[in-house]
Amino acid sequence: MAEFYTTYGFLITSMVLAAAMALSLYLPLMAGQLSLASPGFYAIGGYIAAVLSTQVFHPGPGPYPLYLVLIEMLVAALVSAALAVLVGVPALRLRGIYLALATIAFVEILRILSLNLPILGGAVGIFGIPQPFNTQGEYIWLGLPLLLIAMVFIYRLERTRMGRAFYAIREDETAADAMGINPTATKVIAFTMGAVLAGVVGVIAAHFLNTWNARQGTFDSSINYLAYVLIGGSWTVFGPVVGGLLLTALPEILRGLASFRFILFGILIAVGAIFFPQGIITPELLSRFRRGRQPGRPASGGQQASQTHGPAK
Amino acid sequence: MDQLSSTATIEPVTPGGEVVLEVRGLTRRFGGLVAVNDVAFDVREGEIFGLIGPNGAGKTTVFNMITGLTPVTKGSVALHGENITGLKPYQIAQRGMARTFQNIRLFGNLSALTNVEIARHTHTGSGIIAGVIGLPRARAEERLTRQRALELLALVGLADRAEEKARNFPYGDQRRLEIARALALQPKVLLLDEPAAGMNTGEKAELSDFIRRIRRDFDLTVLLIEHHVPLVMGLCDRIAVLDFGHLIALGAPEIVQRDRRVIEAYLGEGE
Repeated sequence: MAEFYTTYGFLITSMVLAAAMALSLYLPLMAGQLSLASPGFYAIGGYIAAVLSTQVFHPGPGPYPLYLVLIEMLVAALVSAALAVLVGVPALRLRGIYLALATIAFVEILRILSLNLPILGGAVGIFGIPQPFNTQGEYIWLGLPLLLIAMVFIYRLERTRMGRAFYAIREDETAADAMGINPTATKVIAFTMGAVLAGVVGVIAAHFLNTWNARQGTFDSSINYLAYVLIGGSWTVFGPVVGGLLLTALPEILRGLASFRFILFGILIAVGAIFFPQGIITPELLSRFRRGRQPGRPASGGQQASQTHGPAK
Repeated sequence: MDQLSSTATIEPVTPGGEVVLEVRGLTRRFGGLVAVNDVAFDVREGEIFGLIGPNGAGKTTVFNMITGLTPVTKGSVALHGENITGLKPYQIAQRGMARTFQNIRLFGNLSALTNVEIARHTHTGSGIIAGVIGLPRARAEERLTRQRALELLALVGLADRAEEKARNFPYGDQRRLEIARALALQPKVLLLDEPAAGMNTGEKAELSDFIRRIRRDFDLTVLLIEHHVPLVMGLCDRIAVLDFGHLIALGAPEIVQRDRRVIEAYLGEGE
């Protein structure tokens, strides 16, 4: 087991971070907003960690103290939140694919900025980010708690007043408005939550990868995160997590096929989208699972599994 | 009341309760089309006020302007003396106005219970963190929300199917669920857009009793759009008749029913 983890620790940590990023996309999607801004906030979080740990904090010899990583996370969360409100208020007036386009532009602007700001190391980026751990696999001690906290947070959120407001807007924004829910404020809250999570994941990723540059958190990764959510399932908190874990592991599992693995990976995603239009994890699947464990309790109506509903109506 | 002077049967407001809703010179243009033209009426506290007229007369547009869903081109709407023209729908809802929709707009993929719980949004205030952690006050609020929602579902006869998805309900039940959702807002004024559409004769009779009952039990003022003439005549205290965006009659059902212009415009068309 220890040997297995020595070999695969990097992969497993990557899977966990990918799952957390998928959740950062899922949060605005709960309120029906298809935002691809997550990689932008991820990049910002990474740069905050890189700059603070190489240029601001000077903890002296020995492993980099974890509490400083936590401070970086806090800074990243605050900066991401502030920027999310700033960007979200105008951007969330757009709907559907137009919001997706605007958020891609946001990611692109950040990329160009980071290439041209001297403090961020230009095209070379920032190297030698200090390590709190001896091996990359140990980053699971940061990644896994973060993922679990995010999952519990979202799972609980779905059962509160704000979570229901998210769903109301996802279902019918006009009706939600007429029921006393402020659509703009609610959408900005959902967007900001996703941004904060992405920023915090970026902090872990910067230390984990040891280096940070403008190739982190680009448009490509937006599409990957979107695939995690759509293939995993965009209707429950478990879908994006399963999607993120699975799709990150899949290219490695297929490694034996050399370059062909990318072709097979593409085919599997296409097939997955056809046979699981709602994603792998659906509310119906979960309620069946719960019904199996609690006999006698009626499942919350899932008779219409065949009727698909894209998240970005 | 000079805005009302030009037409045939427009009764001065019957003396009664305080004016709850005051509509003045309400006008809506869509491009060159004037969908609603200079419509004015008062609705008194506790009234059941009917808005009728042929298809395309502008009834739903009036509702949409009153609730803020459609911007007002000209004119004003006041609720309890406060000018609410130009406010956002959610702001109007927060001031005590709830509605249902002609083409049912439930949150289809959510359970009946959740649909009703959502409308308690403005009457709850727990913070996000308090709710997620489950602090005692947030828990108590959550329990109350659930309990109230279940009571409202019981009121419309859907308590035993609280966990079912709203989209799976038959048409009539969806209309009842929409009323339950609107009542969860604890409104002072309730707007029902064709509440009897798609109901059979028995259900329509029940609906009349039901609307009277909720008016009494929830201290409501009710505005309703309805096509089914016997229902409107039997239920409403006063009726406003729209034709091509104009208010052509306003008054008690017996009086409006005899109005020549109303008969020509609406009742004469073999409804």
